[in-house]
Amino acid sequence: MASKKAAQKSLSLAPILDLNEASALHGKLMGLRGSGLVIDASAVERVGALCVQVLMAGAKSWEEDNQSFTFAKVSDAFTKTTQLIGVNIDHLMAKEI
Amino acid sequence: MDMNEIKEIFFQECEEQLAELESGLLRLNDGDRDPETVNAVFRAVHSIKGGAGAFGLDDLVSFAHVFETTLDCVRSNKLAPSQDVLKVMLKSADVLADLTNVARDGGSFDQARSTQLIRELEALAKGEAPPAAPAGEPAAPKAAAAKSAPVAAAAPAEPAANEHGFMPVAFSFDDFGGDDVEAVSELPAYEIAFKPKSDLYTKGNEATLLLRDLSRLGEMSIHCNMDSLPPLDQMEPETAYFSWKISLKTDKGEDAVRQVFEFAEWDCDLDVIAVDAGESVDDAESDQAMQPVPFDLSALDDEPDAPLGVIEEEEQAAAAQERDATVAAAQMASNVVQMAGNAARAGAGDKAAAAAAQNTAQQAAAAPTIRVDLDRVDRLINLVGELVINQAMLSQSVIENDSNGVSSINMGLEELQQLTREIQDSVMAIRAQPVKPVFQRMARTVREIADITGKSVRLVTEGENTEVDKTVIDKLAEPLTHMIRNAVDHGLETPEKRLAAGKSAEGTVKLTAKHRSGRIVIELSDDGAGINREKVRQKAIDNDLIAADANLSDEEIDNMIFHAGFSTADKVSDLSGRGVGMDVVKRSIQALGGRINISSKPGHGSVFTMSLPLTLAVLDGMVVTVAGQTLVVPLTAIVETLQPDAAAIHSFGATQRLISIRNSFCPLVDVGRILNFRATQANPVEGVALLVESEGGGQRALMVDAIQGQRQVVIKSLEANYTHVPGIAAATILGDGRVALILDVDAVVSASRGQSLHLEASLAAAG
Repeated sequence: MASKKAAQKSLSLAPILDLNEASALHGKLMGLRGSGLVIDASAVERVGALCVQVLMAGAKSWEEDNQSFTFAKVSDAFTKTTQLIGVNIDHLMAKEI
Repeated sequence: MDMNEIKEIFFQECEEQLAELESGLLRLNDGDRDPETVNAVFRAVHSIKGGAGAFGLDDLVSFAHVFETTLDCVRSNKLAPSQDVLKVMLKSADVLADLTNVARDGGSFDQARSTQLIRELEALAKGEAPPAAPAGEPAAPKAAAAKSAPVAAAAPAEPAANEHGFMPVAFSFDDFGGDDVEAVSELPAYEIAFKPKSDLYTKGNEATLLLRDLSRLGEMSIHCNMDSLPPLDQMEPETAYFSWKISLKTDKGEDAVRQVFEFAEWDCDLDVIAVDAGESVDDAESDQAMQPVPFDLSALDDEPDAPLGVIEEEEQAAAAQERDATVAAAQMASNVVQMAGNAARAGAGDKAAAAAAQNTAQQAAAAPTIRVDLDRVDRLINLVGELVINQAMLSQSVIENDSNGVSSINMGLEELQQLTREIQDSVMAIRAQPVKPVFQRMARTVREIADITGKSVRLVTEGENTEVDKTVIDKLAEPLTHMIRNAVDHGLETPEKRLAAGKSAEGTVKLTAKHRSGRIVIELSDDGAGINREKVRQKAIDNDLIAADANLSDEEIDNMIFHAGFSTADKVSDLSGRGVGMDVVKRSIQALGGRINISSKPGHGSVFTMSLPLTLAVLDGMVVTVAGQTLVVPLTAIVETLQPDAAAIHSFGATQRLISIRNSFCPLVDVGRILNFRATQANPVEGVALLVESEGGGQRALMVDAIQGQRQVVIKSLEANYTHVPGIAAATILGDGRVALILDVDAVVSASRGQSLHLEASLAAAG
């Protein structure tokens, strides 16, 4: 269950999430550990498998930390790429309350 | 989105699929043996069946199913696509179109025809010759077989041979139910295990791109294995953790699948296993949740492996190119743009697509499009028309108040004018569509009439991608159908007569479209007997159209067939011969601002040439003054303008005058006189001569008083707002708000040949 006490942090993803961005994204996520995270992927134009790996690893870690890890907004390119490579992010999508 | 909207989309897609189906079949008919053509035809029928099944359109499903089964035999090379086979298939495509129409609009369809075709298709699928007899006779044994089917199904015991040694064969109606869609449409399936190594990424390859290329080969389901993915703090961001299991149904073959991974094969573990057709891939993988990959991956089409900017730049360059062009050129350019766009996509390193690149037709279909309600486009066009007029009015009033023409408002206005023009060109390009759909409809007309008349006809079409405004296309179908009927019914001879005349038994009707000087020219020619001029002349004399001793040129006799109530057919057939054909055709073409001409060569056939405006909305014109009136002369008709010199004017006969231009003589026509704006001819030396070329080919020097300038005008139909005025094509509103008439150059040229305009009354009323 997600902790509701800690303030949520947010992260906006860069438009191009390629090989070069994987380490940077990894670094950013590492720095955000400890509280709930809302990710804005609405600007994403291109995303590679490595960055999806990093995001999924993040989701795994946040789950272990019992913190929420959600995608608030996603671009069409982001959704389609994850669908294409068989990575389901439906359970990570922010739900309207 | 409610169900009806979804259904409407389905029917729109059906139209596209039917067009695809027909063009594919026609390509096959022309000897194209590319497996991709057969596949495209198969896919079209399959898609219609699939959609129809979802909406419970049973008639459509059952017919499509039988059709598809036979097409599958062609696809698997069990059935050669001979002319006879394709004839049945083309007829089936017609019935499929009828069934689709009935499903959409209600009404009834020819059940007997559909049943007969189902029978013929089944016979073909079984490798028999299609049953030739229309209805009745051959139906009997089949009906008997059908009756015996439930019995056979109900008694699954060993079928016993009867005393004649015939074995009952189970005949399942399920075959028509569409339940076994997959059995028929089963494509070869592959199971692919793909595990990238980290090197794959560090060398600049990208798994998502490989998977995208793979997904384009066919129907793909995918499972991403993330088991080896560690938590964030233990992971190396540039290490490959994901691996994939993919099921792919494709007819492109294993080589195509492997080719996708060609440049990455050393940096990944790859297994490609062909799965037996009978075995469902999904079953084999049922322990893993396979996620179907959506068919529409258009958002990923901006090839990331090509610099993103490249495509955009090309599109911008193309757009700029379009902007500079006139309406006509813009429409042609839009083809180029589309092709450039396609080329950019094909050239962006998509190896799998390279094979498909040969099929240009398919590429055009793959270009991203959106569906827009026509009303919205029309509203936009109307508004832009008003904008153009408004802008012209604004310019005019600024010019009137700014005589030196240097103020910044004036410069701003010039930019506005250019922008308005660009907007207008772009909006017009939205409405421009290829004439292909109309031409395809004609193919059906030819088939049906050929069947009824017992003639053998081949329709050859050319330039079907020529674009023209949608309004023109919509109004073109009816006159064209009339003319095609006439060409086959009257123009072409019976096979016996053709053979006797030393021609091939099969007649040819040729339909071509092309752009020529800002207009679209559609030509319909046949290689039949040509117009029987003596008969036409006699008929004209009988009908009191001409005097018995009238001296008519061949061209004039040929043109008699456009008179109302004129038909030379000895007997009135179902198709044509009632004499309501060609005059209606001529009127429809004229209503479109077009002209029609005929030329005929006895024994060799006739050619009908129609010339139509590309758009009914705007026109580049030269604004001139004639007897105090402002007229607009279409720029496309004007060859040159000149100031007549007294020495160059020569009298010819009582009223005619000629002007000598570079050692040749050209009739001089006073526009003011011919339109009855003035009672006597004006002095040519005081005016300006516009050398024009009419569609019939003749040159005339039209005399006007002065040239005001050249501008684009928005056409307002006189027919719709007032009434037809001979010699005048339409009207427009000028910048100062006054109405100016647009000259019908061809009508004026014809009138100058002695054919009167009969326009005194109309013009008096118009003035």
